[in-house]
Amino acid sequence: MNDLQPMRARVEDVQVETPTIRTFVLRPERPVPFRAGQFVQLGIPGIGEAPFTPSSSPAVAERLETTVLRTGFVTNALHALEPGAEVGLRGPFGKGYPIDHFRDREVLVVGGGVGLAPLRALLYHLFSAMHWVRRVVIRYGARNPAELCFRRQYAEWAALERVDFLETIDRPAAGWNGRVGLVTTLLDDLDIDIPNACAVSCGPEVMLKFVTYKLLDIGLPPERIFLSMNRNMSCGMGICGRCNVGPFFLCKDGPDMCYADIKDIPYALG
Amino acid sequence: MGVAGEQCGDVLFMEPGGLRDLLRGLAGESALLSPTRTEHGFDLIRVEPGEAAVDPPWNGARTIPPLKGLWFRPAAVVARSTPETSGAGLDPAPIAVYGARACDLQGLAILDRVLRDHVFREPVYCASRERNLIISGDCTEPAESCFCTLLGGLPHPTAGFDLNLAPVSGGYVVEVGSARGRALVGQHTGRFAPASSEQVEERDRARQQVEERVRRQNERFATREPFERAIEKNLKTRIWGEVAATCVECGACNLACPTCHCFQLQDAAPSGAPLRFSLWDSCISAGHARMAGGGTPRLQLTERFKNHYYHKFVSFPRNWGVTACTGCGRCIDVCPGRIDKRSVLLQLETRWIPSEVAEVE
Ligand code: SF4
Ligand code: SF4
Repeated sequence: MNDLQPMRARVEDVQVETPTIRTFVLRPERPVPFRAGQFVQLGIPGIGEAPFTPSSSPAVAERLETTVLRTGFVTNALHALEPGAEVGLRGPFGKGYPIDHFRDREVLVVGGGVGLAPLRALLYHLFSAMHWVRRVVIRYGARNPAELCFRRQYAEWAALERVDFLETIDRPAAGWNGRVGLVTTLLDDLDIDIPNACAVSCGPEVMLKFVTYKLLDIGLPPERIFLSMNRNMSCGMGICGRCNVGPFFLCKDGPDMCYADIKDIPYALG
Repeated sequence: MGVAGEQCGDVLFMEPGGLRDLLRGLAGESALLSPTRTEHGFDLIRVEPGEAAVDPPWNGARTIPPLKGLWFRPAAVVARSTPETSGAGLDPAPIAVYGARACDLQGLAILDRVLRDHVFREPVYCASRERNLIISGDCTEPAESCFCTLLGGLPHPTAGFDLNLAPVSGGYVVEVGSARGRALVGQHTGRFAPASSEQVEERDRARQQVEERVRRQNERFATREPFERAIEKNLKTRIWGEVAATCVECGACNLACPTCHCFQLQDAAPSGAPLRFSLWDSCISAGHARMAGGGTPRLQLTERFKNHYYHKFVSFPRNWGVTACTGCGRCIDVCPGRIDKRSVLLQLETRWIPSEVAEVE
């Protein structure tokens, strides 16, 4: 077994989410059982690979979706793919979200931009497990209306029992009548049961930082704040050396970290 | 020291002619790498089959380049586009190394953990590791930069070799360290005799002297606390900017290090068929941790410099149970900024003052 050898996966469908975000529906040559929050390395032979956390339900291993923001060399090439193309896939890697910590809690899910992608896999998992979580409270922000990811699903999610969903955009925009302001503004008057809540957040680093400070402000202890961190993850096994946050290697110890474990590490959140 | 020759069946004696024949035989069967004296010290080069007739040189300390590149290649094809052919090209020729030192073997033991014995198996490393023969030697002429003893090492090999040589009057005391080593001795039985207790004593006396010498030359660098502690208490101080002031970010310390193993995967299709390459990487270089979109968590050199030490002495031991430094001193010899790791570590301990704390929470 060669850990650096990708398996083949066929692109079955490409969904345009925003001008810069696309979802690729992939059928790998073998099923890829994964836990929400674990990531795969997705690549184009001869071009390169990059880490993505599947945005689809972890209950399905035969077909997975990755939602990709166009931001660099590999993602540019991915965005040029059409249905029928073949990609390489390795993984899954990492620990994934610590779902057990969410049992009997109110789960606050805070996302920003394409950060909603990994969180969607978590949401699918939670929606199928509502008998053991008390509530799922989702707060999501994007820069402008066009960049709201998975917008077609919000109403459906908000309608679920014991699920609460609110979205916001950073600045006022023509034709937008919804909430305006950074996602942190949606955390000001949350009606959640803090002593029984935990929070999960994924988004740009600066957002993670301010979301974390806000969560601490409203009384969540570091032990119940989980952050999907970004680093350059390549090998996926804690070997190649670049995805560390202090002594942790995100590719094997994360990419979702408990804030209590990283809070004393200088510059962990930038 | 109680290691009497008669009691230890695996301690033998060999004359220089025997070593010559042994190496000549090895050069015929595998790629033989042997130290060669250059104006800067000993380099490690491949010996062509006929050449091994001349007396093999004795390198009294480690070679200039680290041995790691023989297994952990600077550039290697580690995967191919089609899994069916992915095994192809991953069956490297057998190699025999002559003149490895204790610190080289320690470096290899560290790389084994990471690249072979854990969840990850680096394919080229594992394949070439299976087909190597290692003849090591006691250090007789440590370099001024050698500091293995500060890391708990000794200047003579204790494990990880097939055969180990220690020069004594009239030849070498040979220690057999593996089944492969024993088989080699079996092929050349006529060349080996049991070592006498005098020969073993002579070896042990020399060992003690060399160990003393390495200890003595490092006395001035000895710290009271473990290196790990000195680094941890300085994670937020400004001292890193000072100790890194002459660093020109060349990455030579990474290349020369026997334990540095950061690599980057690069996909390319140089002749049509896509290949995946693994290339040595350097944690000192600005692009090391750069992410898609251009952001990097270690923008400043001082952050990368600190991370280099932090990884070797703090996080690597936590993840792997061993410090990622063997004390070979190569990083000291190659640094154009004249940065001496020993002195940096000492300064971290002695120069720390609370007023240097940059961020107070
Ligand atoms: S560091 Fe120690 S083992 Fe390595 S060459 Fe120097 S004296 Fe020998
Ligand atoms: S060898 Fe010296 S100058 Fe070069 S990167 Fe290392 S510490 Fe910096």
